[in-house]
Amino acid sequence: MLNTFQQQAHPALPTATHDEASRQEFTKSFKNFIQQKLLPGLTPIYRNRVAPAFEAQHGRAPGDRRDIRAGMVRDLYFQHYASANRVAQELLWEATNISIDRQLPDLIDRAAELSAKSGAVLDIPDDFAVPRYITALDIHCMPGGYATEVTKNDISVGALYDRGVYLYAMGYMGPLNDDMGRSVCNYLKRRMPDFAPKRILDMGCTVGHATLPYKELFPDAEVWGIDVGGPCVRYAHARAAGLGLEVNFAQMNAEETRFPDGHFDLVVSHILLHETSAKAMPRIFKECHRLLAPGGLMIHADLPPFDLMDPFTQFILDNETWYNNEPFWGAMREMDQFALAEKAGFDRAEARFDTAPMAVMEFAASDAAGYSQDAASAVAEREFTAGEYAPGGGWEVFIAQKQMTVAAKDAA
Amino acid sequence: MTSTANRPHVVKDAKGKRPQFYEAPGMDQAMSMILVLANEISVLHDRLDSVERYAKTTGLDLAAGVETLVLDQEALEARETWRQDFLDRIFYLMRKEAREAAEADTKERYSRTIEEIAEA
Repeated sequence: MLNTFQQQAHPALPTATHDEASRQEFTKSFKNFIQQKLLPGLTPIYRNRVAPAFEAQHGRAPGDRRDIRAGMVRDLYFQHYASANRVAQELLWEATNISIDRQLPDLIDRAAELSAKSGAVLDIPDDFAVPRYITALDIHCMPGGYATEVTKNDISVGALYDRGVYLYAMGYMGPLNDDMGRSVCNYLKRRMPDFAPKRILDMGCTVGHATLPYKELFPDAEVWGIDVGGPCVRYAHARAAGLGLEVNFAQMNAEETRFPDGHFDLVVSHILLHETSAKAMPRIFKECHRLLAPGGLMIHADLPPFDLMDPFTQFILDNETWYNNEPFWGAMREMDQFALAEKAGFDRAEARFDTAPMAVMEFAASDAAGYSQDAASAVAEREFTAGEYAPGGGWEVFIAQKQMTVAAKDAA
Repeated sequence: MTSTANRPHVVKDAKGKRPQFYEAPGMDQAMSMILVLANEISVLHDRLDSVERYAKTTGLDLAAGVETLVLDQEALEARETWRQDFLDRIFYLMRKEAREAAEADTKERYSRTIEEIAEA
């Protein structure tokens, strides 16, 4: 099935000339090619070439992902694969940045105009300290990272993320990059049809792409997106306004927000935790517990733990740690989230991992080009393949519920 | 010097020491150049395809027209600017390498970051 998915235009999104669009489209095609044609070759290369060589040298089979990596990095096929993957990632940002740089002053003005029309809050403090795990390396090689501002009221890295992440996901996140939020919303609607949160918080929201479905599905709720990146939430606010949704955004750290105790009924995050740190993650779980009203839900959609996978799969996934500026990608998968939840005050017995099925089938109804019924089905029905974007038909979610007060629990 | 020189620009290079995939010196740079070239060939291919498809809808014979075209000064300058920008992209890893050298960024700092960030 050819992937011809096209991103849906919206007022805050950078436009592209014919050649810019073509250049960006190539990076999407290139990623798809690597995952469909180069990635599968790693299995026989490992099994028939690298593993026997390792065994000959060490007198034993490779035992874990570190052994596998030690052998694979010396193999020319793997070198070509990893190099192509890295260059594709660099080209993706570069190709997107060319069109953003061309129209940067106009994009900033347009975002400000869109934001001014919104009744929702945009809260960016003057003295915000961006955590080191965000500033030490530019995560997933995105130039500038999430928080760099090249000028006053800058939104450039927000715009870069919105377009770049669409290309990174090759359109599998849907025409508005909102599949993760939509998937968790659908999960809630199906599993807990009576759950009607009054206030919803999305932690680490970047440009609010996963935040907006919550406003769509719970229109009466007060919805907030927070992120440590100022340009990201500034862009997110404008983006939401451009899409006709009033969602509040603030530059805040999920470890220590500025909201009062028990303020939210639902706290969610999407691919946030693996971009934090071992020190921050327990603090984020604690903050979720503090922010939730009794009976409220914490849902983190992120990467499944390593102990659920074989060593070769772990090795493939851990390439992100080494080659894509994702320093916590590997270590996060070894964190015991049940223990973290319990320590934060959640009931360990009630916490669980579950799968929120991808919402991609819904995109078949979209106006955006490329999202035919067949194309959506082809994505939804894939098998899990490590190293592909959005493997299989669902997102791994970690769910914990804040206990009711003792009195309420007894009454129930 | 272009007319946009004095306004803000996006960040061009991602912070974080780039890994080396090949043992042969220069091979990583060569691969990146080849792939940028492949990208631009693809753009060019799309553009020509678009031009021909559009022209076809209007009955315009472009193939004959381009053979008679003479480049004036403005066209010469536009093409030279384009080629210089093109070369700047082909050599993007040299740019990043110079910057890493200037900032003394290292693989050790990257490994240290993984360890420090994993410390509970």
